[in-house]
Amino acid sequence: MIQAALLAVLVYWVLYWCETYLLSWQCLSRPIVVAPVMGLLLGDFQTGIVMGAALESIFMGISGIGGSVPADGASAAIIAVCYTVLTGTDMEAGLALAMPVGTVIANFGVFSGFLQPLWSALAPAWEKLAVSCNEKKFTGLNLLLSLVIEPIPSLLIIFVAIAFGVEGISGLLASCPAWIMTGLTASASMMVAVGFGILCSMIWSGKIGCFFFVGYVLAKCVGMDSLPIAILGASIAIIMFFNDKEFIDFKKQITQLAVSAGPAVTDDEEGFF
Amino acid sequence: MAKRELSVSEKKTIKSMFIRSHLTFISFNMTKMEANGFTISMAPAIESIYGDDKEAKEQAYIRHQNFFNTHAVAFSLIVGLAYALEREHKENNLPIETIESVKASLMGPTAGVFDSIFFNCLRVIAAGIAIGLMSAGNPLGIPIFIFFYGICQSIMKYYMLKYGYIYGTNFIEAVFNSGLIGSLTKAASSLGLIMVGAMTATSINVPVNCTISLNGAEVVLADVLNSIFPGFLSIVLLFAVMKLIRKGIRPIYIIFGIFGMSLLLALLGIF
Repeated sequence: MIQAALLAVLVYWVLYWCETYLLSWQCLSRPIVVAPVMGLLLGDFQTGIVMGAALESIFMGISGIGGSVPADGASAAIIAVCYTVLTGTDMEAGLALAMPVGTVIANFGVFSGFLQPLWSALAPAWEKLAVSCNEKKFTGLNLLLSLVIEPIPSLLIIFVAIAFGVEGISGLLASCPAWIMTGLTASASMMVAVGFGILCSMIWSGKIGCFFFVGYVLAKCVGMDSLPIAILGASIAIIMFFNDKEFIDFKKQITQLAVSAGPAVTDDEEGFF
Repeated sequence: MAKRELSVSEKKTIKSMFIRSHLTFISFNMTKMEANGFTISMAPAIESIYGDDKEAKEQAYIRHQNFFNTHAVAFSLIVGLAYALEREHKENNLPIETIESVKASLMGPTAGVFDSIFFNCLRVIAAGIAIGLMSAGNPLGIPIFIFFYGICQSIMKYYMLKYGYIYGTNFIEAVFNSGLIGSLTKAASSLGLIMVGAMTATSINVPVNCTISLNGAEVVLADVLNSIFPGFLSIVLLFAVMKLIRKGIRPIYIIFGIFGMSLLLALLGIF
């Protein structure tokens, strides 16, 4: 267990903290990458792959945008895979556990957290350091804070949760009545709606909302895979873009014509009303 | 807008700035957000432009310690622009207010556009394809996702920074004045929505498992609901969640609500 916990801490540090701060992709820290890597290190790559796909669906709309992160996908993926592989339970139970753990650790993450006031308080110190023109020292201290000091609380929580939690959890699961497991399984498949809901409410607008149903019907009723749907969707998007472009060019020409024939147009309008 | 050839030292500076611009989120805090990342990314430009002029250098460093926040790829574009503007400031005495206002006015709109391109479109497509492969146990989804959502960002960051510098402010003005940014956002969001719709169909599942007996006839509730429209309940669930989020209810409450509801319905025997 201690060994697994250390591996989990290492995965979280590299894929979450180092990735976010050194690459700024926010890509390797997605559950779809974290879960297979964790699975591979624990010796069950296949479980990691399948759980990665399920967890990514759940965390689809959740990320560091807008300053508040409801749950941290990377730590949730790590905990879910660890519990599933180490206790040998159903994947659904692991997935259901992922959310609560993710919400706790999100409070110690990069973009939101209990410790933010502390890091904010450092702002004047950074200014002073920047003015000193010692660019190497500035970069070095930034790296030290971001890669060594800031991750400590979240790494400790993950370590404790896995090193001392797995036995307790497996005992708890064994003594659960059936309806709790059914409920957990059901909630795992419905949790996806939260992620998609956040994503939808960001991109949704009345004019393009209908496209949601196009995608839905193609997948559900026609039974198409996601890549063919993406190709169809891209074609629609490209057509829309060029139609818009033509329309805007056309509008520009009209206004130019109107400007060159300026006074006459205004006369017309006044006469009309 | 003629394309300008870059000198050797300019190329070197841009390369160093490109590598440093990956530190976008370094020491992220709520007061200044990405300011430290911006200072670090601008350091090679400031050093090469102002050289030994200590006072000008101090001012430049403090200038780029201002509050800054945008998408990580747009970040590189604005870093490139700021390099061009700093050079203009040194050579043609461009007023420093211009540098400040270009940075301040660009971070809002670029954050919106780049979020919709990368986060709502590219990521959703990459994840959609990868999820499809991986839920069938195919590990190829992982490199596909990393390439399209990760490595692509770095490639874009490089070109954004380079052309941000070469075309300077003219470019940005041209793009925003052409009015095409709006169309681009709209097209990207439509594609994103199609993919979310497709994934809703395959991923969200409300597992109703309940039979009602009406005058001795057994009616399977899930079949009745699906005959209205396939996956009727999953669409209802999604729109209910969306409505709650639009009302400003924090996602964490919705998550625990769904958690509680599933347990309750399971206890009642509906799931």
